[in-house]
Amino acid sequence: MKLYLSSAAVIVAGIFCLPASAQWFDIQKKGVPRTADGKPNLAAPVPHTADGKPDLSGVWLGDQWNPPGHRPNPAGASRPEPPAMLPWAEKVFAERRANGGKDNPEARCMPQGIPYASTLPYPFEIFNAPGKVVVDYEMYSLHRQIFTDGRQLPAEFQSPSWMGYSVGKWDGDEFVVETAGFNDQVWNIDLAGHPHSDAEHVTERYHRIDYGHMDVQVTINDPKTYTKPWTLPTMHYTLLPDTDLLEFVCEKNIDPQHMVGK
Amino acid sequence: MRSTFSAIAAAAGLLLAAAPAGAHHSFAAEFDRGKPVELKGTLISLEWVNPHAWIHMEVKDENGKASKWDCELGSPNLLMRNGWRRDTIKPGETIVVSGFAAKDGSNISNARTVKTGDGTRVFNAGSSGDPGTPGASTQ
Repeated sequence: MKLYLSSAAVIVAGIFCLPASAQWFDIQKKGVPRTADGKPNLAAPVPHTADGKPDLSGVWLGDQWNPPGHRPNPAGASRPEPPAMLPWAEKVFAERRANGGKDNPEARCMPQGIPYASTLPYPFEIFNAPGKVVVDYEMYSLHRQIFTDGRQLPAEFQSPSWMGYSVGKWDGDEFVVETAGFNDQVWNIDLAGHPHSDAEHVTERYHRIDYGHMDVQVTINDPKTYTKPWTLPTMHYTLLPDTDLLEFVCEKNIDPQHMVGK
Repeated sequence: MRSTFSAIAAAAGLLLAAAPAGAHHSFAAEFDRGKPVELKGTLISLEWVNPHAWIHMEVKDENGKASKWDCELGSPNLLMRNGWRRDTIKPGETIVVSGFAAKDGSNISNARTVKTGDGTRVFNAGSSGDPGTPGASTQ
């Protein structure tokens, strides 16, 4: 028994106790509310910006990836069920499924788009800036602007893009972001490749619950693709208060040459 | 004795299962869940590069014939957040990689776990295709 115990303990220790580096993560940051033992107090109140709005800034990770202090049963782990698709979309989606998703631009290191970029096992960081909120997504080091200067979404897009064009405004305690103008390349909904059209309009409602937790509800409205608006299960996020984003540049991607699909 | 061992093994298994997987690309497009492999051999190099780190290793068959295998890990970013470092395993070290082989028949596999040759250290390799990956329905 002793032998079993000690070898098994070494295995468990090997998983748990690898050396930590303070270069990018596990940094004790200033201004973070902490409990008596020095751990971040994720249950502390929501912080506010100078204009009295909830402050969404910080590094966030989806609860389905088990960040420390996450809430149980994250909704983001369940697969969203779409409403019925129009025939063209059914056909495209069936082809993507049949090919095992090999044509997903993400596999060629192209951006994931919104909301898919918010569901990845990598954190994103929200920054407040004059006239805009900026979101950096660690995976592929993506950068997104959400304009808060009162402008409207353009009626048409001269240059459709991978991350779309976003405007945001406050509705009570919720930051409501409207995004449109995605290009026809991006698989912006999920890894499974649910399709979209140039009529796609994504609404995100960000609601910070307390210091360490945030909910985001996403609705996809794309009448050229889906028979009715599609509200995804509410995503749950937990703050990573003592870490920073890492660089992620796809410098050597050899997977596509081995992707045979079926 | 047996129950103690299996309980701890189960705990270790849970830890492995709970660690995140990378998204990046569909598992099913490249790897075959019907072709599990366990590769024991010598580490040539750990290539620490995005979007996937790679283990390059030499594996000998029962006749002593050597072949080179390339095993896909998660991204360095994911591996570092899970406790890996670029020198966690070193060239010349005996390792055992468990994963699934590529569909195209090349000497490529994904890596789900990496063990040191003496079995004392086990690492989740964080490659693609673990259940729970958002939108993983294409598997």
